[in-house]
Formats: sequence, structure tokens, C-alpha cells
Amino acid sequence: MVKIYTSVSFTLFLSIFGLQSLYANKTWHKTSDKSYFVFQQDTTKSKKDSSIYSIKTDTIGQMVKALQRFKTGRDTINIRSSAPVPNLSLQQIIKGNLAGVYVQEPNGEPGTEQSIIVQGASGLLFTKRDIYALQPAVYLNGVPLVQDNPFAFDVQKYDYNRIGPATNLLSQINIENVQSITVVKDPFELAKLGPNAANGAIYITTKNARAGLKDISLNSYFGYVTPPNVNTVNGVYENNFRKPFYQKYATAENYDGYASYLRDSTNTAYYGPSNWNDLYYKNTPTFSADLGITGGSDRANFRFFGSGTKNAGNADDTKINRYNLFFGINMAPFKWLTVSSVVNAVRLDRFRNKSLRDRFAETRYIPDLSSPLSPNAAIYSGFLTENDKNVDNNRSSILNGNLTLSAKVNKVILSTSLIFDYNEGSRDYFTPSTLMDGVSYISNYFGYSQRLIMNNEASYKYTIDKKNTIDFEVGQSLQGDTYKYNYARAYNGPNDYVKLNLVNGNSATGGYLNTLSSGGFYVFRYIDKEKNNLMSIYGSAKYSYNNIFELSAILRRDGSSNGQPDSRWVTTPAFNANFNLKEQFFKTSTTFDKLNISAGWGRSIRIFLDDRYAAGPQYRSENGWFEEPTIPGYGGRLGINRPYDSGFIGYGITLPYADRTNLTIDASFFNNRLNAAVTAYNRDDKNQIIGIPVPFETGYGLTHKTGMNINNKGLELMLNGLVISKPNGINWNTSVNLNYNKNELKALPEGLTEVINGDNKLVVGKPVGSFWLYTNNGIYGSNGEVPAGRTFNGIPLKAGDPNWVDYNNDNRIDSKDKVLTGDRLPKFIGGWNNTLAYKGFDLNFNLIFALGQKAMNQYESTRYGFINREAGNDINSVKEVSSWQTFDNEKTYPIYNPWSDVDAYRVDQDLFLENASYMKLRSVTIGYDFGKTTLFKKSGNFRRAYLYATAMNVFTVTNFSGADPELVNYNGYYDGANLTIPRTFVLGFKLDL
Amino acid sequence: MNYIINKRNNFYKISAAVFMLLIGVGNFSCKKIDDVASTRLATEETNWKTLEDAKANLLSVYGLLRSATVADNGHWVLGDLRQGDFTITNRADLKAVVNGQLNASYPVINRLTNWRRFYAAINAASLFVERSKEILALDPRYTKLNNDVDVAQARMLRGFAYFYMSRIWGDVPLLTSSHDGEFIKLARTSQQKVLAYATNEVLASAKVVPFRYGGTDPIMPGLYYGADWPSWNGIVFTRLSAYIILAHIAAWQGNYIDAANYSKFVLDNQSTQYFVDGANPLDYIDMLALTENQNNYSPFAYKRANLMVGFPFEAGNGLSTANGHIEQLTLASPFIPKSMPEMFVPKDTILKAFPNAADLRFSIDVVTKQYRTNYFYNFQSERPIFNKVKVIYPSNTSGNVTLFSSSMVFSRMEEITLLRAEALAALGQKEDAFNALNRACNLRGISFSPTTTPDLMAAIFAERRRELMGEGWRWYDIIRYNRIKNSNGVFAVKNGQQMTFKQFEQAGGIYWPVSQDVITANSSITQNPYWQ
Repeated sequence: MVKIYTSVSFTLFLSIFGLQSLYANKTWHKTSDKSYFVFQQDTTKSKKDSSIYSIKTDTIGQMVKALQRFKTGRDTINIRSSAPVPNLSLQQIIKGNLAGVYVQEPNGEPGTEQSIIVQGASGLLFTKRDIYALQPAVYLNGVPLVQDNPFAFDVQKYDYNRIGPATNLLSQINIENVQSITVVKDPFELAKLGPNAANGAIYITTKNARAGLKDISLNSYFGYVTPPNVNTVNGVYENNFRKPFYQKYATAENYDGYASYLRDSTNTAYYGPSNWNDLYYKNTPTFSADLGITGGSDRANFRFFGSGTKNAGNADDTKINRYNLFFGINMAPFKWLTVSSVVNAVRLDRFRNKSLRDRFAETRYIPDLSSPLSPNAAIYSGFLTENDKNVDNNRSSILNGNLTLSAKVNKVILSTSLIFDYNEGSRDYFTPSTLMDGVSYISNYFGYSQRLIMNNEASYKYTIDKKNTIDFEVGQSLQGDTYKYNYARAYNGPNDYVKLNLVNGNSATGGYLNTLSSGGFYVFRYIDKEKNNLMSIYGSAKYSYNNIFELSAILRRDGSSNGQPDSRWVTTPAFNANFNLKEQFFKTSTTFDKLNISAGWGRSIRIFLDDRYAAGPQYRSENGWFEEPTIPGYGGRLGINRPYDSGFIGYGITLPYADRTNLTIDASFFNNRLNAAVTAYNRDDKNQIIGIPVPFETGYGLTHKTGMNINNKGLELMLNGLVISKPNGINWNTSVNLNYNKNELKALPEGLTEVINGDNKLVVGKPVGSFWLYTNNGIYGSNGEVPAGRTFNGIPLKAGDPNWVDYNNDNRIDSKDKVLTGDRLPKFIGGWNNTLAYKGFDLNFNLIFALGQKAMNQYESTRYGFINREAGNDINSVKEVSSWQTFDNEKTYPIYNPWSDVDAYRVDQDLFLENASYMKLRSVTIGYDFGKTTLFKKSGNFRRAYLYATAMNVFTVTNFSGADPELVNYNGYYDGANLTIPRTFVLGFKLDL
Repeated sequence: MNYIINKRNNFYKISAAVFMLLIGVGNFSCKKIDDVASTRLATEETNWKTLEDAKANLLSVYGLLRSATVADNGHWVLGDLRQGDFTITNRADLKAVVNGQLNASYPVINRLTNWRRFYAAINAASLFVERSKEILALDPRYTKLNNDVDVAQARMLRGFAYFYMSRIWGDVPLLTSSHDGEFIKLARTSQQKVLAYATNEVLASAKVVPFRYGGTDPIMPGLYYGADWPSWNGIVFTRLSAYIILAHIAAWQGNYIDAANYSKFVLDNQSTQYFVDGANPLDYIDMLALTENQNNYSPFAYKRANLMVGFPFEAGNGLSTANGHIEQLTLASPFIPKSMPEMFVPKDTILKAFPNAADLRFSIDVVTKQYRTNYFYNFQSERPIFNKVKVIYPSNTSGNVTLFSSSMVFSRMEEITLLRAEALAALGQKEDAFNALNRACNLRGISFSPTTTPDLMAAIFAERRRELMGEGWRWYDIIRYNRIKNSNGVFAVKNGQQMTFKQFEQAGGIYWPVSQDVITANSSITQNPYWQ
């Protein structure tokens, strides 16, 4: 594979620089004179009317062509108002500002993974792994960025974080170097992008080399993230919280089991001042500086961009450093040939939190948890001092870019591009024995994801007459993805100074790979690698009639190595029609400046992220159990068996696909001062794979079958208006996007109407994000109130137990009485962006909202269920230092018997279901452009000298009782363990020379 | 000028040709490019081809059955808690088990009552029985004898799994072939049929498997998968293992004639693993091996011949785990850094169970005048720590690493000898029964005689209680004992209604409920009537 690419790219280079001298013989030039001059004529013509051909000397190549593809402005980010906001990641930039795009930022810790869902969820939302399969393709200058592969979760016991740096790779986007960010939702355009974009696409074009304009831009900001206001509590509060439970229900034996850390009220560790927040939350600086230089001539030009950013969280000393380097170059060695290339290199160094849960999830080792962290700063600082012995290096290095050649041969444009994205992540983690009951821990991770693509395209414009033209395009692409990681975790080093697990690297010796340090480590190793190739060919045609009507069609054939051999090649079509109503009917109308209607339909296949489905019936090493999932074999030898845990995979698994229909009307009124667009869409994600339960007597829990269909339909409304426009007075520009989405499960494999998936249930006709819960109807105050003989899963209900609704009236509360309710995903999302300008001043504020989503308050469930939590000594028993606080709008729950066998505070009841809708004032920016003042005008060099101040995450309006309705995990559970999203204030400037 | 123009012109033509060529090149390689062999799994094309495949697939059956028995500490939660000697400190789920509230709503109980884990092992065994012979034709290194022995082991494991499950749930669905790739729904089969099937399987296997693998056993001489007997003992099931399982199935069925015969075979053939082929011998173990991880004999800390039926977790093979060992439930400070054990044996129970002042397991040491700590540490405290089994990474008796390497021990010499004593006592062969009983407790400092021991059967079961405490036997021993005694006393109370053992057994109370998940997945499975 690599060989092919190297030879191809070598040939390409050779064709530019080396071949001229090789073929200067007579035969060639004699016969070719004529065509040369024809070509010359074309180029002259194109100088007069540069829009005829998409290639222009100053805007060359793939990226700009791509921009023209997505001609509309309505699905793009307002870069000008986004740039002064100190966002770190792409997700943060687009949150609430791209129509139809829902961004989840479940953790305020900088650089952690975030999710993008375009026009509703195409799959399940139950585990972290599921979320990976919902992400849209993100294109950076035409490079479809490769994301981390979720296969690492195979060797993990807990899925809070992926092993390795787990850094959000889309933190690589620096808004200062971005020209445009567009969301691609149109069926036809998505079909052009192919299977990578089955979940939609975000298309980012960076600022790039341009001719004729030399400019230098220098931008910088500096500011602080600020700590939140917290109401801290200590053991007194916790003691009082527990009192009613004990008074009401406790037996003498229960009193014996009273939490040991709360027994002694003179113990200052728990009953002293609670001031942990002074050490936990901090004002932390955040800053960034970047420099962009563009220059060159018509025939050769370049852009350089470099930046350094430090982004910080307000809690637990978390931060991330980002370094960007970008270089773009365009050349036209001949008038008919252009070469352009961009290379983008990024490094992300992340400094992660010190939370107990994340540490124990990484170490998979739970020490005695009977004494939680003290809320007292003096004692908590001791814990932090021990943490200083930690090693926690998280580094991601990213290199991506492309090389594109474009040639114009008569009316044919040929272009070929080599596209690559390589990112590697490494994590070295050490935690000393003092933090884990005398056992130190080391883990080392190295992993990479790599994508190489070869694209070839040829396009031809056929002009029938003045009014009728047809554009033809054929293309082909080869894509190779490789994912790999090596991971080793090791316990119990010789002492806390040995923080490296050095091994014998000499494969000739017997002790190869044995750990070298005397006393040793207890090492567990994991290696995994996966490859996936995708090959595509397509042809498309676009017929245009006199700028009034356009009809496009594409037919493509894609083959994925992750599909089963007999069904891995699939042919998919897409169509689009545009009708310019203004031109046809309202040519003279003054109301409309623009009125278009366009409709499209398209199908694109979805490729599996995992190579297991291609193999059919298979054997894996799955020898463990729930608590110990990664036991490799027996008797010191590897064992292989059918995948009893992960589920059977048979033959006949065909690739899933998405069918999209789209109808858009867009119009401009009042001299283009008001733009409006309405889009209605319908998407069916069909033939998706899902594990359906099988009788457990077969040894399997599940068999994987295709046939799940999920439908998303919705409406998007976008308005952009220049409300006030006075040349020397106030200008007010406002834009609103409002999106409604309805998700529905349409079908399950084998005609099933419902499937139980762990603690979740899927029912045809309901949203896939529904919760499956018992309905809580209060409390049984006395045994007399309990209907005679009523049981909960066979256990007789008693006084102090919850009154759960018995829907099927069989007097037995069991899973048949659980109902589907709520939805993890919002019904309405959107944002409202405003810019007020007066002379050199401007003021921008950005509101975002998400309405209608629900969340399970697992934090309160475990807080009230403290008896079971503390008895369990498992990952859910962990009490973080940040749990020593109360929240303003905390709810109170009935006092159930926490010792009851029915597990009264179980999370799967609607008692803990909450509305997580929110509206946020995401950012406010006020700025002044000194570039037009006399101060700078004199020098004449400054095009812009903009000074601004921005406040981020200013306030939230919500009914949610936890810290922040955004801090809900992907699976819809709020566990209170994630760090808060900080309020940030920055001062910055932008200089354009 | 003309020259330059022409030269350019040439170049443009050439480049155009190169472009076309590239497009062509891409298409040529397309079929190849789409075939990516996964390095993460074995497929039908790659499995069942070589000797190594046979080994990997066979050992997985062991591995799966090991996981099935110890998952969520199931071997002990199911075996030692119901009406057992342990008191739970805090954990509500374990308390529910002790109190007989086996349908309580806790994740651990839900997982334990799901029998899928056993059927995974059974399916893997069936698949091995059906498919492993394919290798014979493909790999000349894989001999007929090797295959026969492997298939016999798979059948023995399948039979053992059915017996183990049947002790827990009574009637269980009986699947005797893999039905690979189809998912049939079967109802429960009567326990009688299941046990008959298990007996057949193990008996058939017993005729094939050797006494030793990889050694000089004439049944199967020479290295077994390239390894010798010291490397295989304690790992794979031998002919003695087969007869132990048979003896237990027979005893469970009340068929004490067979139980006596099978156990006799085992004891008579101790010599087959006694100081042969360079391995540590099969023998009765002393106190050091029982509680202090003595290297040559301890079946808990090491894979030794003494692990006659059971599954090891050798630290050296990266198999020390937190879950899957009794230590996770019973140990605490000073053995491991943990303030309180999850369960312990209360003082009264200890005193009641260990009445003999000479008992080396628990009594007052005549020299130090202190309570012996072999079984119980800090006896005088509120929660004496049951530390009989304490194999802390790698094989220490105490340490900071709370990963444990103790084996799941189903049977060892003492256990099978006591079973023989039980069988003989049931058959009325008192003298032989006393001999067997005294042989079993010979190294424990106590002995029994007809004069001092009026109730022999009670003495045998009391000795089982002491010797096998924390080895997952208590509940099943209680059942066998009560079946023999058939007393009219109150055994259990359900919904205020008192039940004798017989009533309790007939109501299905001795068995566990099956998880609702099992019933949801297969509607022809009925809940155990006692738990409906």
C-alpha cells in the first residue's frame, strides 16, 4: 500500500520538475501545435470571465474548488464573530452556530473529547463507543480527518476515557487560520464526499495562499478562566443528610455499619473547615498568539501560519498546550497546470485531571475507599503533594495535508491529489504507591491513526448552446486507514522513584521484554491493529439551463474492506435539482432579491469502524468476565473461542446506508438585507447492525444482525438580517438558527419490535435515545399502604420502599413495568448571534440553546443510595473531593429505606430523570478597530488594528439541578464527576498589515 | 521561443498521459486492496487448521469454565454463603444471599443468576468436539491420540459444567451439540437427565484421558503440546479429575455405591501422580500447604498436582486478578490494605465448628498460649479475618497488591477422601469410613473413633465444614447432609411458613432463581417455582 502511494507521489513530483528535459523531441511538438494554441485561447478567455472554469490562477486547487461546491453561506460559521472567542476545539466553535448541528461538551476539562451530531443521531447512544459511530466527517482543506478508533475499548473495563491521551483531535483547529467552516448536509454533496461522510460533514477551509496580496496578521489574547462559586460542605452536612435515613429505618446492625469517616465528630479531616475549593478551583491564565503571513505572485504564492495556545480549565489544574504550524503553497509552473499543497502540523500536550475516578478507571485497581478525600484544604494539599509524584504525559502529534495537481487539457480538467492524515498519541502515566494503598502503577500507551488517500478527478464542461450546458465529472479514490496501539499497564514497581517500566529490548535473549527494574512490575500488555481500505469510483453530471434550472446526478460505487466479501461493493446514486424562482417568475420583483428552491435525494453507504463484521463467524480471545474482561487465555497459553461476550457475527452482514431527502427554499429580501432559508430533511439510516438478544443457553448474549432503521426528520430555519444599517451610525446584524429534529426507530432486525440492550430498551416507533425507567409514584409510608402481595422482582415491597407503578397490573413490579420516556437528545437546538457596530466599535453576543433533552441524575442517585455505594467498594463508590459541595437548585427526594433489597435509589426510575434543557449566553465581545483612527491611518500599513475583550460562558438558564446541564455524559447520565465549563475573560488584539 | 513552447507542449501531453495512467493504476489494484486480513481474530478460514489451533481452542474451554465458576466470586457466593458460616460486614447484595433473598435486585446477583457463562463453556466444548477432528487431516503433527484426548477433555468439561450448573439451578436446558450459528430455544431438562448426560460424558472421557499429560503415562506418553507434566499438572483435567467429578455427580444423586467406587479409584491411583515425571507429588497437604502457600504442595498458590479438579490463576502467567477469588471477600488489614473484610466468620460460629482443642486449623496453641491464626486472624476481635486462603500477588500471604492468584479449588485429596468417607458411611461401611475420615484429617491434629463419635455422618460433614471452609462447598454439603438425615426440623421459612428440608427441596428452594434476563431472552425457560 505504502509502496503504491510513494511511487505515485514520486511520479507526480517527477512530472512537474523532471520530465521537461526528458521529452523534448520533434515528433511531439509537431503534432501538438494545434492543441496548444487552442488551449492558449481558453486561458485567455478565462482571464476575461474567470467564473467559467473553476480553476483560477490565484485560487487554486482542491480547497477552493470545494468552497465553490458549497456555495451557500447559510451553513457556515460567522468567522469574524467567532475569532475573538477563545474556543479551543472545533466543537466549541460551532456549538449552537451551525444549523442542524448538536454539540455535546460533557466536560469542561480542556482538550477532552466532545461530540458532534448532525441532524439527529444515526445510531445508538448507550455507550461511549456508540458515540464514535455518530460523528460526522471533518474535512480540513479536503482532508477527511481520521479519528481515534474505538477498538481500544475492547481492552478496557471502564469506558469513561479511551486509553491513551484521549485528547480531542479536533482541538487542532485554530480559528485564526480558518477561512470558512461549513456543515454539509445536502444529499448530493454528501454523496460526492462518499462513505466517510455518512453522518454528514463539516468542511473547513483554512486561509490559504493568494496572489497579489501580501499580508501579515498577528493575533493574540490573554485572559483568565475563573473559578465557579461553590457552597462547600463538610462532614456535618453529610451527617445531617444521613440522619433522617437512620432515624427512620436503621437497625442496630445498620448503626454498626455507620460510615467510619463520619463516626468521629472531632475528626478535623472531615468535620473541620471545608475549603478544598481554594486548591481545587483556581484563576488560571489562558493565552494564545499567532502569526500568519501570506504572499507571493500570481504564479507562485504561499501562506504560513504558526500559533501557540494555552487553554486552561478552572478546576484541578487542567490545561492543554497547542502548537500549530501551517504551510500552504500554490504554484502554476505552466498556465495550464497548477500545483498546490498544504501541510498542517499540530502538537497537543494535555495536562489531565487528578480525579479518583479517572485514576482508578485507568489503573483498573480500586483500593479501599472507606475514607474519602478530606474537604479540608490542609489535608487535601497533602493529597496534591503526593500527586506531584505523578507522571502524566499526554501528547498528540498530528500531521496532515495534501498535494494537489490540476491540469487543464482543452475542456477537460484533470486533478489528482494525495491526501494524508497521521496522528499519533502517547501517554505515560505513573502514580505513586502513596496514592494507591502501597501499590504504584505505570501505564504506557502509544498509538497512531493513519489515513492516506489518492484522489483522481476529471471534469469536462460540454456547452450545447448558450443556454444549455452539462458538466461531467468522473473520479476515483483509494483510501487506506490504519489504526494501531500498544498499551501496557504495570503494577507495584520497586519504589516510587522508578517511574519507567524499562524492558529488555534484546529479542535474542531469553528475557526479551521482561521488565528490567529489580523487584519488577506486574505487567499486562495489549497490542491491537486494524486496517481498513476504501475504494471508490464515481461519475456525475450537472445540467444547467440558463441560470434558472440545474439538475445534477451522481452515481458512485464504493468498496470497503470492512464489509463482507460478497457485499462490500455497493452502488449508490444521488440527485439534486435547483430552480431559480426569482429568475423564472419574479424577475422584475423588488421584494425578492433571490428566491431558490432546491431538492435532493441521495444514498451513501456507511462503513463499519470495526473489521470484525467482515470476518463473519470468528474466534477471538474473550476469556474473561464482567469484572475482569481481559483474561487472555488459560494455563499461560492463549485461548481462542467464539465471541460469546461481544456477540455472534454471522454471514450475510451487508453494509448500512443512509438515504437522505432534502428540500430547501432560500430567499433574500429588501436589498439583500434579510436572508432566510428553510430546510426540511428526512434521513433514513438503514440496514444498521445491532446485537439482538439470543437465548443465553447458546452461550451468547447477542447475535449481530443488520436491519435496524433509524429515521431523523426535521426542519431548519435560518434568518440573517441587517436590522439597522446606517452608514455612519449604528449597524445591527442578527442571525438566528432554529432546528427541530425528530428521531424515531423505524425497524429492528428480523421484524422485532423491541430489543433490550443492557439497561436500555429499543422500541420501534420511539426515539433511540429514550430512557427505560420505572415510574416512581412516591413512597409506601407503612406496610399497610403496600397492595397485598406486591413484589419488586420477586421481593415483597415494604414500608419505606418506593411506590413504583404497576403498569401491567400483575401486582409484580418487574422489567415489564419499565417504560420508555424522555430522550437523550434535544428536540430543538439553535443559536442567536448579534453584532452591533458603531463606527469603529462593535459588540457581539451569542446565545445558544438546546431544548427538550432529558438526563438521568446519577449523582443524586448515588448520593441518596449511599448505603449501597459505600458497601460496594467499586468505581461507583468513589467520592471525589468536588462532591463536598451543594448546588443551588438541588432537588430533594423522598426518604426511602436505603437498606432495602429493592435498591430504592436505583437510577433506572423517573425519580432521577430531569429536564436538561438550557440556554446559555455563550460569549460577549466588545471591540474597537483602531485601524481607521488617525493614529494608524498615518502609517498606512495597518488594515486593521482591533482591540477586544471577550467574556465566555457568561450565564446559563436551566432547570437542571446539577452543576451544568451540559455536563451530562454521552449516555445521558449526569454523574457529577466531570469538570465545570469555566467562565473565561480575555483581552486580545488583531493586527492585519 | 518556439522551442520553449513546443517543449511545454510536450510536457503537457506527457503529464496528461501520466494522469490517465494513474487513474488506470488505481483501478487495477482495486480487488487486492479490498482484501485486508484481520490481525485481531481468527476466521473460519484460519481456525481449525493446525495443532496450535487445537491447543488454543481447547484451553479456551478451560478458560471459559474457569470464568464461569469464579465470575463475581460466584463459586464462593453460591457455595459458602447460604446458611453458611460467614457474616457479611456491609454489602447488601451478599447479605441478601446469606438471608436467602436470592432474587434481590442487585447487579451481582443478577449476573450470578445468569447461566450464560456456563453455556459459553459448554458451547465451546461442543464446538471443539465437533470441529477439532478437521485438524487431523491438515496437520500431521496433530495425532489421532492427541485429538482423542483433547475431545475427551472437552467432553469432561462439558459434563462438569452441566453438573456444576445443575447443583445451582436444578433443571437446566440440555444442549449436547454446538448448533453453531443458530440460536435454538430449549426448555429446561430434568436434572435427572442432565446428570445422566453429565455422567455419560465424564465416564466416556475417563476411559480416554491419561493420568498424566506430557509425561511417561503409557496411555499418552511424550510431551503434550510440547510441554511436560510439571508444566501441565494442575492445569488440565486428568483421569483422576474425571473420577472425582463422577463421584460427586453420584453423591449428589444419592448414588453412594458409585460415589464410593469412583472415589476409591481416585485414592487407589494416587501413585500415578506421586513423585513421577519430575513434578511435585499428589498428596495430602499439611497446614503449611493449606494456609501458608507452601511451595511444593499448596493447590491454592500454585498449579500443582494437588489441584485435582480446579482452575489456577498463576501470577506468572499474568492471571492475578482482583475479582474471582475468595480473598476479595475475606481479607483485610493486616493482610492487605483494606480496613474491613466484606465477610467474616463470627466468633460463635468458629467456636462451634472447631470444638477440638488439638485442631491445628483453629485452637489455642499449647506453646504460645495464643489462638492459632491459620484460619482466623485476630479471633478475639469483632471481625476475625478468615485468612485460610491468602494468595496475594504473586504468591505471598500478605502484601499491598490486592490482585490475587489463588486457584479455584474444586477438589483435592482431603476433599475426595472425605467424600469417600461420606459414601462409605452412607453405605454402612463404618470402619472404612472412619479410616477415610481419619486419613483426611490426619495432618490436622485430630482423629475420630467410633467410641467418641456416635454420629459418624455428622462428624464427616463437620470435618468437611472445617477442612473445606471457604472453598465453595458449604451449601451443597448442607443439602447432601439433609438429604441423608431427612430430619423433620424446620429448615427454612418462606413467607412466614415453616418448611422441613424435604418440603424446602420439593418446593425448589435449594436451587437459585434464574435471572429475568434469561427468561426474557428465551420464553420457554420458566422460573424456578420457589422463586416465582
